[in-house]
Amino acid sequence: MEKVSKANRFVYAFLIFIVIWCGFTFSPGIRPEQYLEEFLAGIVFSLIAAAFSYEHLSQRGLYNLSPHRVWWFLKYIPVFIWAMIKANLDVAYRVLHPARPIRPGIVRIRTDIKSPVGKLALANSITLTPGTMTMQIVDDKYYIHWIYVHSEDEKEAGEMIKGEFEPYLKEVFE
Amino acid sequence: MKRILAAVLAILIFIVFALAFAKIPFGEKMSTYPNYTEPLLNSTSNMSLPQHYLTYGKKETGATNMVTAIVVDYRGFDTLGEVTVLFLAATGVGSLMYVEDKQRRRVRKSNAVVETGSKLLFGFIILFGGYIFIHGHLTPGGGFPGGAVIASAFLLLYLAYPKFHANHKRLNVSESLAGLTYVIVGLLGLVLAGYFLYNFLPFGIPTYLFSAGVIPVIYTAIGVKVGSELTGIVDAMMGVRE
Repeated sequence: MEKVSKANRFVYAFLIFIVIWCGFTFSPGIRPEQYLEEFLAGIVFSLIAAAFSYEHLSQRGLYNLSPHRVWWFLKYIPVFIWAMIKANLDVAYRVLHPARPIRPGIVRIRTDIKSPVGKLALANSITLTPGTMTMQIVDDKYYIHWIYVHSEDEKEAGEMIKGEFEPYLKEVFE
Repeated sequence: MKRILAAVLAILIFIVFALAFAKIPFGEKMSTYPNYTEPLLNSTSNMSLPQHYLTYGKKETGATNMVTAIVVDYRGFDTLGEVTVLFLAATGVGSLMYVEDKQRRRVRKSNAVVETGSKLLFGFIILFGGYIFIHGHLTPGGGFPGGAVIASAFLLLYLAYPKFHANHKRLNVSESLAGLTYVIVGLLGLVLAGYFLYNFLPFGIPTYLFSAGVIPVIYTAIGVKVGSELTGIVDAMMGVRE
């Protein structure tokens, strides 16, 4: 991971915050001069919030906004939503089925993602698709509670759990 | 025997309160409220107090949020008292938890998900806290909720990181400066118009951000003050950790 200057990270934090602020304050009927006031206050508050938190917010600063990363992130969104719909239906099937076909267990899988935020994103993707839940991350190992343990092999289980997400997240966060 | 006595007492208190509440005209027309402001000599003398606030509040304070108008403008002294109470609470906790030789407490490292997540969220929570208290005169909220939100951002870091510590001196400086701002704004009102906490700035146009005179200034001060005070309380209660 490349080292970036503090100024770069500060500007990145500021940009993110000012965009969020505009989202907070915009409403359809707002007058332009009224919005200008909001925007000025937004600049001041974004600078303050960025001063507090730019060291926490990002390691790579503006490099996070490279077109490659943004493009892969946009591609990731439909993949994630589709996986979520599938997994929800799967859990609904397991709940409604009279025989209740569950085989709960905790499996350990490994990931190649190095950046902490990437690991967080993968963990949250796994948790948000029902049936799997991230319990603990130790270095590159994920401990995952699975509603139906399809496979006890580390590699195979990893493919089934994170296979859909990992290639995308690797492009976004590495 | 004690339990029966306590139960009887509780039932008695409940009956008394129920009888008292039964007389309050919830949801009825405002004119049926008792008229608290009978002897007022100005043009609004025939109105009850809540009716007066709702009818003339916007004109008299410039704020669209009537709760804010009452808390900071009409009844500014109460808020000054509340801020003082909070300050005393922070000081009290600080003096009770003070220890001469600081014993380090060992804290277990938390989950990687929690650590990274709270790092990411920290800035956004601060921004949202700022949004709440700067828009106190327009939207629900104000200095106290905004300050509490900001303190919760710091609490998040305290819980996620065993070694995190907010800088004590900076906390004290921001707290004192914010408190001073409140009092100075009040004194300026006294100098310029003859009332403590008089709303001397121009009201501007309601629903604009720069409106309602001194209310946004005071709420910003309260937000910063409450935020740094609650963070100080959390810091004192956490003690020194390793």
